[in-house]
Amino acid sequence: MTWFLFALMVQAAGTTLLISFVAIAIGLVIGILVCGAMLSPSVVLRGPARLYVSFFRGVPLLVQLLLFYHLLPAIGINISSVAAALVALSLCTAAYQAENLRGGFLSVSRGLLEAAEAVGMERLQRFRRVSVPIAIRLTIPALVNEAIGILHASALISVVGVIELTKTARNFAATTFDPLPFYACAGLLYLGLTYGVLGLGRAAERHLAVRHA
Amino acid sequence: MTRRALLLFAFTAGSLALGLAPARADVLSDAKAAGVLKVGTETEFAPFDYIDGDKHVGFNVDFFDEVGKSLGMKIEWVALPWDGVLPGLESSKFDIVAGPAIITKARMQRYTFSSPIGEGTVTLVKRASDASIQKPTDIAGRSVGGGRGSNQLVQLKELAASVSPPATVREYTGANETQADMAAGRIVASAMSLPNALAAAKRRPDMFAVVLPPFGVKAYFGYIGRKDAASASLMQAVDAQVAAMKTDGRMAKLQQKWFGATTELPASVTDPAS
Repeated sequence: MTWFLFALMVQAAGTTLLISFVAIAIGLVIGILVCGAMLSPSVVLRGPARLYVSFFRGVPLLVQLLLFYHLLPAIGINISSVAAALVALSLCTAAYQAENLRGGFLSVSRGLLEAAEAVGMERLQRFRRVSVPIAIRLTIPALVNEAIGILHASALISVVGVIELTKTARNFAATTFDPLPFYACAGLLYLGLTYGVLGLGRAAERHLAVRHA
Repeated sequence: MTRRALLLFAFTAGSLALGLAPARADVLSDAKAAGVLKVGTETEFAPFDYIDGDKHVGFNVDFFDEVGKSLGMKIEWVALPWDGVLPGLESSKFDIVAGPAIITKARMQRYTFSSPIGEGTVTLVKRASDASIQKPTDIAGRSVGGGRGSNQLVQLKELAASVSPPATVREYTGANETQADMAAGRIVASAMSLPNALAAAKRRPDMFAVVLPPFGVKAYFGYIGRKDAASASLMQAVDAQVAAMKTDGRMAKLQQKWFGATTELPASVTDPAS
């Protein structure tokens, strides 16, 4: 493998990172909304949110990608490769992130909430000052896990024509008829990206850690 | 938002079940109006379509450049894995498939083929260091492989059954996997079309060698379009381009450049042998 091809592999790793990051970010926003809907007392909100989560966790991501790319044109919505990949990745990770967040909120101990009520906090205050900070801390490890999952799952998006890290390795393997160095290089680059995400997650945990005075 | 997404899915599935594809007037005039012809392909198919560094090159790229020039439009490439290319054609992600694909009876029932642009008779590729395979029938009793869904695999199975003792045929998802498994020693030969086989041996002479002669029925490569009336004018324009390039020698030049040899091609294949 030449330096030029290696540089192109690194560039492809950048594409993988960018698409994964955007999907995680959009997924987090949608995930928060879906989690809110699932925790809401209203059935009108809870029902569709549960349907959403069961669909996007129930159908394999690969199938979702193919659905968005090949099925939407049948009703006149012909989205581009990158759009199909981002929509599928974001909507899928949103379902998982909503569940992670819901788990975080459900793990906030009742005793703490009762204590907050006892010191006179209003409902909204309890939510903002007790539930949210604790739930976020409890959710971060799961969020990091999900981010790594999406980083790796993004290897699938070449089925809709996005040229990311794995596809670049495949292309070069096919061109040179020498697959090993490219797959090895892709593996190492994924490992590097994964460590980057882990580092960010740890920094976030440190930042949010409860400091005892 | 979630509801809408679900409704969208229900609607998509429903309309697909009813076969409601959006109506299109004429693919060629639409492409001309837009100034862009979208071509779908797979980029793991040297010498037709492959990635050389940061460039997409190959026979197809040169050919469609000529098409674009004579029809006055730009060519936009959409690269998918081969499994996705024909579904992509059907869902109008692009209007023609470069590939190319071997013109077969089964495929002709569903798609329109252009005039042949290359010969694709099946050829075995072996490890360069393996002296035990000198002719196709030497695979008797050994393990060989080919890409699933490919015409080469069909021909290879016939060859494998005709030798004694019969050879074992393994199926792979693509040429990449087949070559890798041969390099790893799990199979002694893989079936490829002649141009692909020559490209592999030329690129890695230390690793691969072509086992001549090609075997099985003579087969030709063509480009693929949808079988609807809207696509007819586009496919005619591509055929006219092939004919013009054969007459003025540009086709022979392209063949020499990418296949290393020129081949006589029939004007059309109406009744393929398989």
